[in-house]
Amino acid sequence: MSEEESRGLDEALELLNKPLIKNSIVTIISLAMFVATWWVVAILADLVYLPTPPNVMEALIDSFANEDPNLGVTMWQNIWSSLQRFGLGFALAFLVAIPLGLAMGYSKIFDLLAKPVVEVFRPIPPIAWVPFFIAIFFYFWGPIMVIFIGVLFPLLSNIYFGVKSVEPILLDAARTQGASRFQIFTKVVFPYTIPFLMTGIRIGMGIGWMCIVAAEMIGGVGGGIGFYINLQAGLGLYTNMFAGMIVIAVLGLLTTGIMQYLENVTNRRMGIR
Amino acid sequence: MILEIKDLMKSFPKKKGEMVAIADFDLDVEEGEFVCILGPSGCGKTTILRIIAGLESQTRGRILLNGKEISGPGSDRGMVFQEFALFPWRTVRRNVEFGLELKGVPPEERRERTQKFIELVGLNGFEDYHPYQLSGGMKQRVGIARALANEPAILLMDEPFGALDAQTRNLMQKELLRIWSETRKTVIFITHSVDEALFLADRIVVMTARPSEIGQIYEIKWPRPRDRASPEFAALRKQILEQLESMVKIEE
Repeated sequence: MSEEESRGLDEALELLNKPLIKNSIVTIISLAMFVATWWVVAILADLVYLPTPPNVMEALIDSFANEDPNLGVTMWQNIWSSLQRFGLGFALAFLVAIPLGLAMGYSKIFDLLAKPVVEVFRPIPPIAWVPFFIAIFFYFWGPIMVIFIGVLFPLLSNIYFGVKSVEPILLDAARTQGASRFQIFTKVVFPYTIPFLMTGIRIGMGIGWMCIVAAEMIGGVGGGIGFYINLQAGLGLYTNMFAGMIVIAVLGLLTTGIMQYLENVTNRRMGIR
Repeated sequence: MILEIKDLMKSFPKKKGEMVAIADFDLDVEEGEFVCILGPSGCGKTTILRIIAGLESQTRGRILLNGKEISGPGSDRGMVFQEFALFPWRTVRRNVEFGLELKGVPPEERRERTQKFIELVGLNGFEDYHPYQLSGGMKQRVGIARALANEPAILLMDEPFGALDAQTRNLMQKELLRIWSETRKTVIFITHSVDEALFLADRIVVMTARPSEIGQIYEIKWPRPRDRASPEFAALRKQILEQLESMVKIEE
């Protein structure tokens, strides 16, 4: 080996040691191993409902490019339907959880009043609400309400916890600066809870995403990814079913990734390293 | 007389009867005076300060600030905390502006009025930093500037340098004396360090162990800056230390 070649090799090895590159390589290897295993198992098992990766990939591309013959819509439209429900359910939960969580955290009486009700509803899995919500809110608002319930509790408990963990010394500091009870709330308690709220949103998003798919599977109509998966399974089109599952995985990863980023940005802005 | 504390008593209810934390505390403080309250830990000296600040209420007794009885916290008493108690989401400037913001002072004026206090504590250039980016000593500079920016009648300091390392602590003591001589604020300073009290105070109020009463008051008339190595400094330090130690023994 010439000297130049060896230097080139050293540089290449050094590059491999950079954490970001190193981690990306490991991630790629991990995913490749998963796909390979899936492929081998699918070939060996030779089952209709376990298609191989290339077949699923083909179905995936096709689902975006063309309208589904049984549904009359493309995957884009299914995604849009699901996101719409997700957004509406999330917004509703947000509107209820913020005032409720702040009030419960800040006012002892309100806490005592609301807590028993919250504790009764919290253990009910969101999915258990599907039949009821579909019955009274029908196929559009029903799944939205399921998301609402799923997102509400993680948001609520994070905000509540945030208010409860405000350091008493900060309240003292504000009081010696002449803050009224209302100012303590707006200028100390509320800003203090923002990072907790962001955590609640991130966790809520994960749960909300699971809720939407499940709700659409049980009681969906006119599109949505959950509905799509259920329909394809019913028709025996398992490659399409898997394509739908991959879409959910990717969208889920994207939303949590974006939220993690926003959470970090917020924490930095709020003075938490 | 800027501050008069008359017959202050604080007790906490217990299962049987009550626990007296502070008894018969009487103190008059002159305008511009630097008073240190010195005592063994757990003697209730912080409680006295918190009562003056209005953060806790007394069981009995009266506190007059400029002749008016105080009740509850107010911006006429600025407080500096041992744990700094800065708002982590606010920059240095916005921490210092906090009190004026509460009063509804418009942003332009706020900035103008706080800038001189930021400069006074030597934080110019750090206005846009967040507290986590600052060292302990710098955090407490923010704490002092925040308290002063409200232009209180009196500055209450609760072991403000207790969380700092020895070197920073000495530096901050010098800085505090400089700030004090520039602002001529009345200061009540809580500490359990005899050395610190001797270095800073016009008057040292030595507290007894629980129930806390005033054990003895020392007038320190030495000129500043004081020399910790001087014989009279060492002699008085020894005397007060022995006094404090004898009290701790009684408690045991």
